[in-house]
Amino acid sequence: MASGAVYSALFRRNYTMLGLVFAGAFAFEMGYDNVMNKVWDNYNRGRQWKDIRHKYVEGGDDE
Amino acid sequence: MAPLQTMSRTLARSTAARLPTTAASPTTTTCVRAVSSSPALSSPATFQSPFTLKGESKSTQVPDFSKYISKKQGSSNALFSYFMVGTLGAISAAGAKSTVQEFLVNMSASADVLAMAKVEVDLNAIPEGKNVIIKWRGKPVFIRHRTSAEIDEANQVNVASLRDPQSDEDRVKKPEWLVMLGVCTHLGCVPIGEAGDFGGWFCPCHGSHYDISGRIRKGPAPLNLEVPTYDFSDDGKLVIG
Repeated sequence: MASGAVYSALFRRNYTMLGLVFAGAFAFEMGYDNVMNKVWDNYNRGRQWKDIRHKYVEGGDDE
Repeated sequence: MAPLQTMSRTLARSTAARLPTTAASPTTTTCVRAVSSSPALSSPATFQSPFTLKGESKSTQVPDFSKYISKKQGSSNALFSYFMVGTLGAISAAGAKSTVQEFLVNMSASADVLAMAKVEVDLNAIPEGKNVIIKWRGKPVFIRHRTSAEIDEANQVNVASLRDPQSDEDRVKKPEWLVMLGVCTHLGCVPIGEAGDFGGWFCPCHGSHYDISGRIRKGPAPLNLEVPTYDFSDDGKLVIG
């Protein structure tokens, strides 16, 4: 049974549970940050420096 | 008289000692029967209360919980519970980490400060034997293109005789370029270049004389002029900071 295997492999021992929680926190944070940055950029589209930079700075990407 | 009294006492004691045992025996037997007869381990739903006396009302009966017993197999309920617990823990950990991190990032230097933290100087524009003063982090920085005679002069000084003993090699990265902060170590005035008794810098405020390596030679200042962190880039430029 799949659920029983998952339970005994990951949740049964405290250190595997804790490792899973921390790994999950890391993955969650990356995903959440990405999504929230996308939402922010989408909401402020056309208003940030990176959106209007090409109008004022010609050519070189050196800054 | 005395033996009779003792005898009656002994009898009374023996009966008193026997009484609890006779009284206790029924309870022990009921206890044993209750444990042995209760089928709690096999099926908890059919629990028989041992207190079946008289006037039994509905409130004293253990209700039937079989409707609420999970029909799922194995540990799937535990799996779900621990999954929810772990998810909450993960989100809490991410939130705690983010809180602490934002507080610490808040304390670091902002972008405009960092942009001012480094200064680039084109060394090709400075001829030999000339001073240049530039501003770096709100302070003047002296850059001197020293001649070979000045380098020799700086090296001939007996280091042990100085107030703040420091050899010329410790103060420069390339001997022809002397870079140091133009702040007098006495009270913070800006010394004047190519002046003073030692051919270096002279502080007009209280008369401190610095030599051609920026070392204090005469006057009230306690230390040599400070040398900032700097580096020479490949295309003949000096980066301070």
